[in-house]
Amino acid sequence: MATPSNAVRLAQVRKKFGAVPALDGLDLTLAAGETLALLGRNGAGKSTAINLLLGLDEPDAGRVELFGGPPHAAVAAGLVGAMLQDARPIPRVTVGELTAFVASTYPLPMRPAEALALAGIAELAARRVDKLSGGQAQRLRFALAVTGNPALIVLDEPTAALDVEARRAFWRSMRGYAARGNTVLFSTHYLEEADENADRVVVVDRGRAVADGTGEQIKQRVGGTLVSFDLAGRGSEGLRSLPGVTAVEIRGDRAVLRTGDSDATVVALAATDRVRRLAVTPASLEDAFLTLTAGTRPQGEGPPSGEPAGGAAAGGAAGSAAPHLEVSR
Amino acid sequence: MSAPTPTARAPHPGSARAAVRPAGLGRPLPRYVALEVRRTLRDGGFVVMGAVMPLAMYLLFTNLGITDAQDRAGYARYSMVGMAAYGALGAALAVGGGVAEDKGHGWLRQLRVTPLSPLQVVTGRALTASVTVLPAIVAVLTAGALADGVRLAAWQWAATAVLLWLGTLPFTLLGLGNGYGLTGQTTSVANTACMMGLSVAGGLWIPAEAFPHWLAALSRWTPTARYGDLGWSILDNRAPGLGTVAVLAGWLAVFAGYAVLAYRASARTA
Repeated sequence: MATPSNAVRLAQVRKKFGAVPALDGLDLTLAAGETLALLGRNGAGKSTAINLLLGLDEPDAGRVELFGGPPHAAVAAGLVGAMLQDARPIPRVTVGELTAFVASTYPLPMRPAEALALAGIAELAARRVDKLSGGQAQRLRFALAVTGNPALIVLDEPTAALDVEARRAFWRSMRGYAARGNTVLFSTHYLEEADENADRVVVVDRGRAVADGTGEQIKQRVGGTLVSFDLAGRGSEGLRSLPGVTAVEIRGDRAVLRTGDSDATVVALAATDRVRRLAVTPASLEDAFLTLTAGTRPQGEGPPSGEPAGGAAAGGAAGSAAPHLEVSR
Repeated sequence: MSAPTPTARAPHPGSARAAVRPAGLGRPLPRYVALEVRRTLRDGGFVVMGAVMPLAMYLLFTNLGITDAQDRAGYARYSMVGMAAYGALGAALAVGGGVAEDKGHGWLRQLRVTPLSPLQVVTGRALTASVTVLPAIVAVLTAGALADGVRLAAWQWAATAVLLWLGTLPFTLLGLGNGYGLTGQTTSVANTACMMGLSVAGGLWIPAEAFPHWLAALSRWTPTARYGDLGWSILDNRAPGLGTVAVLAGWLAVFAGYAVLAYRASARTA
């Protein structure tokens, strides 16, 4: 791909904090005009990647480019707007004052009122920032990211701490900005958000990109439903060919089927009289990442039997503070 | 500009308008200063420490306990400069509190992803202080003229006000150093300690002639004593001495170095 058409390019980027590798050879390219989701658990390296591509931090190794140049040049040229994860707007100024100031730092900004309208807070222009609710402050942060009319906006977990209604409104605003021909990169740990709002999803785990594709492709790999039941001494042969099943995993005496059509799978199981302590559950974040990080195994083949028990426990502990990937409908 | 234009960026309905800078958006630096000045003056704590306190202390010190009219007029002149300097010192240091607050909010990082350069941000902060030190200076000098009957020639009023204003620069840099180098809580403690310690040691509250000998000798080397000298020398109908200018220039260099080091350290971690 020709370099100038790439809005973002990370090549073999490595970053350590102390002895802990946050990024371990991350590759990522984002074409201008594209909307990309970085999907991963807390601590997967999403925020580190975003800080590096905004020039807020330097990589230990590898290349980071925005619009074919170093990040600070793109930032200085006003090509970038960002919603950082832990940057809160400053108090004792009004929403309108703050937005107008940020707009004034860009060469070709939109009118502050337009940015507030895009963020859905046009009526709050005269409100003091310290008097905003959490959701309103979040929308102000979005307005600050777009008011400079930058070609690229970077949103680090933009919907964290928002309720369902506010989330929906937020993504409407984001798609409105993307529809103007702008490039958007956002991070999330919700598969559904990534799928519904991005052209492309890159799954990041332990500092590396472990999957890259459309939301549909990613969902096929990590999503679906888990149907589990006791084998009761019977083998696992034939399970892989049941309707809807994409992967089979044996945990001790229990079979876990990953399926895209749990109804059909269960009906077929019942027909062969294999329903023993049946459970149908949405695939969790840990399940999804176990599948993806099981390495280079071709898709559809389950991990070796018995292996995930310890791994699942460890994954559960590591990810227990993080919301699960939402893969059910 | 040699900034690369993203080729795949589709023309959108707003693009014709976007080529024209919207009216009412000035240059970024003046807008930044205007934003920060407003934000500072809306801080009740700042208004109390940076204007009300020095004014109240001035009126209190010059209207209590001194019976001799001659002494009282002399002290009113001396204290007018001292308290204006004390108030301006506090207001200049307070710029560090603003920086520490920004840091706590993650706002310094947010500024780093705007086209505003780090130098513009620091310059904006210093210019903000150059505005927010004015209420203390104006309030105390006005009180001296109106409430305590201090009489000066017009050039003396102007020279005193301008020198007290310009002389805040070292303290602004000290405040910036505290703000960038320390956390929010320690910044306010450090600022308060600097303000009280330097005010007392510099003789802004009580004339250094009343100090024990060793403290009076030490006092001559403080930036605040020389800062006060800028105004006191005008009261004596003369320009500030070379020693005063030299000591202030020395402190200016020290505090500028401190501010630069603190800024660099914070840019690494913030």
